Amino acid sequence: MINFTDVKKVYPSGTHALNGITMHIDKGEFVFIVGASGAGKSTLIKMLLREEVPSSGLVEVNGYNLNKMKRRQIPYFRRSLGVVFQDFRLIPTMSVYENVAFALRVTNVSGRDIKRRVPYILSLVGLVHKARAMPEQLSGGEQQRVALARALVNNPALIIADEPTGNIDPELSFEIVDLLSEINRVGTTVVMVTHEHDLVAQFQRRVITIEAGRVLSDTAAMGVFS
Amino acid sequence: MRGSSFGYLIRVGIRSVFKNRLMSFAAIGVLVACLMLIGMAGLLSLNVNSIIGYLEDQNEVIVFVEDGTDAQGLENLDLDLHSIDNIIEVTLITKEDTLASYKERLGEDGELLDYFDNDIPFPDAFQIRVDDLARLDDTLATISTLDNVMKVNAPTDIASTIVTIRQAVYVGGAGIVLILAVVALIIIANTIKITVFNRRKEINIMKFVGATDSFIRLPFIVEGMMLGLIAATIAFFIVWGGYEYFISWMIGSQSPLFAMFREQMLPFSDIALWMFEAFAGSGIVIGVGGSMIFVRKYLKV
Repeated sequence: MINFTDVKKVYPSGTHALNGITMHIDKGEFVFIVGASGAGKSTLIKMLLREEVPSSGLVEVNGYNLNKMKRRQIPYFRRSLGVVFQDFRLIPTMSVYENVAFALRVTNVSGRDIKRRVPYILSLVGLVHKARAMPEQLSGGEQQRVALARALVNNPALIIADEPTGNIDPELSFEIVDLLSEINRVGTTVVMVTHEHDLVAQFQRRVITIEAGRVLSDTAAMGVFS
Repeated sequence: MRGSSFGYLIRVGIRSVFKNRLMSFAAIGVLVACLMLIGMAGLLSLNVNSIIGYLEDQNEVIVFVEDGTDAQGLENLDLDLHSIDNIIEVTLITKEDTLASYKERLGEDGELLDYFDNDIPFPDAFQIRVDDLARLDDTLATISTLDNVMKVNAPTDIASTIVTIRQAVYVGGAGIVLILAVVALIIIANTIKITVFNRRKEINIMKFVGATDSFIRLPFIVEGMMLGLIAATIAFFIVWGGYEYFISWMIGSQSPLFAMFREQMLPFSDIALWMFEAFAGSGIVIGVGGSMIFVRKYLKV
């Protein structure tokens, strides 16, 4: 599902963000990627989303070789993923319903299918009653659940969550990760970047620790955090 | 792209004009102001041109014929004058015509001139009108080389003044329109740039959801087109109203100069279609072009 082979990234400024990361994540896994700020987590996410290309090494995601990908292929690759960001990134001028529907419209899904699929996904995250609300009217936790609904609506094989609990209350954080676990249970691969050790400890999943642009440790589920 | 998506994107573009009211208002306002100024400068120079054209048509050149020229000679000279391409009208005024017109002018005292009936002291003449006053000197030179020409009377001073004014109006008008157009483009480009900048996050989010560049761009293009069209329509009606008001003010005015010129003012209906096309065309081109250029910057994610 995800293959990083000796991936290095040097930014034009001279910063060495990644110094040879090699990791392999299989289909159906749930993986936490942890590390202090500046460890290279953000760059890693940018690689996964093909926002950045490696200076050297190979990146493969969902069967796509991201090194060789042409610009016009990027949208089609991104449709095979669901992405959740720390700052939610909902479109402020669209209602909850439209934000979720947008991910379907992008892929040319018919209007009828959109009407069927969006309410279903909103019910999964428990927000059907807020369908008409605008993002600014929702709490942080609710906004993140909308973002999660948007990430799920295309039935992606892989969900990438970049600090999804960074901007919400601790009690609601648990809820979000719980939702991600539910999604993982039905077969979707989940990669979640976080620095919240409490959450990581609670959920007992595989943990990849990054430090100074390298993999410091890679512990299987039921590992040291128990 | 399938039909339903296309329709959706068009709707989004139109809706976004109203959702981003403040920026739309600013963009339309700027565009209206610029189009209005350009329209007024255009109207002014068109009308000055029309008035000058009218003055130009009033030119009159008299070619006096050598004494003793027979009928054949007159006919030949008439043909020669007609063959000069800058001459648009040739009228023969025989010595009898001249005598008659003098008699008429003298009224009852005209009888005094009966004495000349058998030996008229005036020469035969041709009254001609030239097309292009700028070429008047050349035309006069050509006429003076023809057979049987005694003398040519022409308003050369007035002609050169009119030619100078016409050139000044043409260059000045074109210059003003050009400068205004450039200023308008810069201001509008900035307005669109801000509009797109305000929505860069939105564009960024769309990219991460997997939207193609054209999918993101189309609503912006529709929006730009709408703004251009709305601005063009508003500017058109304001200029129209202003122009009609000006003409009615001229008609009401007592000034003899205005009385002479107002006949030459172009009716708005002559210019309307042309002007609306120019306004709508440039409005749409600016809106669409600006959106495309500035959206591109944020598509590189």
